[in-house]
Amino acid sequence: MSDLVIAHLYPYEMNIYGDTGNVIALRRRLEWRGLGAQVDLVPVGASYDFTGADLVFGGGGQDRSQLQVAEDLQRRSAAIHEAVAAGTVFLTICGTYQLFGRRFLTQDGSEIPGIGVFAMETIGGRKRMIGNVVVATPWGELVGFENHSGRTLLDPGQASLGRVKRGYGNNETRREEGAVTADCFGTYLHGSLLPKNPAFADELLQRALSRRHGPGVVLEALDDRLEHLAAAAAARRP
Amino acid sequence: MLRLVLATALGRAAGRLSRLLGRGGSALPGLIAEKVDPRTIERLVAPVRRGVIVVTGTNGKTTTTKMLVGMLEGEGWRVVTNSTGSNLARGIATRLIEVASWSGRIDADLAVFEADEAAVRTLAPRLRPKVMVVTNLARDQLDRYGELATTAAHVAEAVRHAGVAVLNADDPLVAEMAGGAPAARFFGAAEGIRRAMPHDSGLYGSGEEPARPALDLCLERAEPEGDGQVIELAAAWGERARARLQVPGPYNGYNAAGAVLAAAEFGVPMARAVGALEETGPAFGRGQVVECRGRRVKLQLVKNPAGFNQAIRLLCALPPGTPVLIAINDLDADGRDVSWLWDSRVEDLAGTGHRFGTAGLRAFDMALRLKYAGVAAWSEPDFTAALERFLDQIPLGETGYLVPTYTAMLRFLDLLLPGTSKREAWA
Repeated sequence: MSDLVIAHLYPYEMNIYGDTGNVIALRRRLEWRGLGAQVDLVPVGASYDFTGADLVFGGGGQDRSQLQVAEDLQRRSAAIHEAVAAGTVFLTICGTYQLFGRRFLTQDGSEIPGIGVFAMETIGGRKRMIGNVVVATPWGELVGFENHSGRTLLDPGQASLGRVKRGYGNNETRREEGAVTADCFGTYLHGSLLPKNPAFADELLQRALSRRHGPGVVLEALDDRLEHLAAAAAARRP
Repeated sequence: MLRLVLATALGRAAGRLSRLLGRGGSALPGLIAEKVDPRTIERLVAPVRRGVIVVTGTNGKTTTTKMLVGMLEGEGWRVVTNSTGSNLARGIATRLIEVASWSGRIDADLAVFEADEAAVRTLAPRLRPKVMVVTNLARDQLDRYGELATTAAHVAEAVRHAGVAVLNADDPLVAEMAGGAPAARFFGAAEGIRRAMPHDSGLYGSGEEPARPALDLCLERAEPEGDGQVIELAAAWGERARARLQVPGPYNGYNAAGAVLAAAEFGVPMARAVGALEETGPAFGRGQVVECRGRRVKLQLVKNPAGFNQAIRLLCALPPGTPVLIAINDLDADGRDVSWLWDSRVEDLAGTGHRFGTAGLRAFDMALRLKYAGVAAWSEPDFTAALERFLDQIPLGETGYLVPTYTAMLRFLDLLLPGTSKREAWA
């Protein structure tokens, strides 16, 4: 019996930019505390019951995969909305994050419908926003690497993940990055995100463990010196 | 014509000035010549007697080019090549200017150029290659090239300008380019070797394999031997040959097959081609050995997950306790995004018992990747200090492995071989 069930959405289709590193980080940070995780892989077309998952992760992909994934997500829309309402923790990055908004309008004017967990839309642009990013969030500063041409605009009232201190984030004008609804997080930060941002990784684990085992779960502190050195180095790079 | 003479002369002068200033073999001459005469490349390659060969793809370009040059020179032909890894238009122009006479004439039977897979789309119509070899396509430096599908489309467009496309049949993205080429030849490998060399969709995708085209040349066997390997090649036209390669790994078997098949287009018999293969040493940064203070440092350049996975396979085969220094930089030439470290099979290194260190601008990122793979490592971002510590760990007379990204490799070469220009060191 594992202590936590992690679902990895589209592990084959949405897996560029090292996003698998996030799952590695979650798993390791549990193991180092003597806890075990079961990781369920959920590729396009596979049936999956989200009520059994505590933490769901979805990464970024190339355009070709994103269309397939968009279709597949539509079929799971109701189940995902229910899971979000039931307090399942989600981390969605780049391509999956965009599809958790209402829609993606591509540069050629076509519309890819999203599932609307986040009150936002993404509009394809010519300019690619590439580089290291630093974001101030309630869970400390997050450091990552962004690479996207979609500009994401949050509706008034949709909470962001944080304020951009360096880089672009959701778009080139508003200096806001990511989105948060209940325990569902969205962000453009690759890198991988979680290994270099251990406090945020632990925040996700804490929420997911509390969901399964009840409040009062205390995560033992780990030696994160190397994580902080890597984050500090990344924050200084262009 | 006058314009070409001027372009060549000014380019050459710029090259001299740059060398006088101690900047070594830069791409400046080509850059300047192309400003004076934007058709410098077209005009300079036009008189090359037997034609131009272009080698492109994500991994294996430099090695394949080197093997091919060896085979063609073995035929007694004069060959021009960009052997030091400058594979953009300006680098190719620079090399052509270096070998041209003052009147802008080139005396060569063949030109073999490796071309960057993003630049090859515009280079191919200018070089009009008789043969174009496409080694493989894998994701590489997404911050620079964008999506793999885009790169594949660029290379496919380039292939249209080649007389014959020599394609890796085992890489579906490459094999499907046959549709656009005037003629296509295929190289590939036997099932067992093929399985050990996953292509990009196999590495990351759902693993559905489209049917493979019939092979013109098959790598039937590749067995490690010493620092290298023994390979066996069988051609659809009946020739067979065995060769002892100086370079290890199934991917180098593929490179050899691609080179032999390209050389066959120029009538080089397989028996002579493999003779040249056996003489070919490792290419720039791909397994050369540098002697330093009585120790051997073996270099294995990495730049993307596919290449890193190859290096990891090599490291796994070494005796436990081998000192390994992995040096990761994130300058433009390395790729600014180091996410690819997480897409590589670093977990395989756990249990090797090697002594790992990390260096470079992103030393801590690499150490962190190792930590999450269950591998302990020391870190030293500073190149001089890292090299000292690494050399200290190598027993006298033994070999340590240096696994750097491109600009990290250049930094270490400056430290390991002070006062030697890179071109001299690797000529």
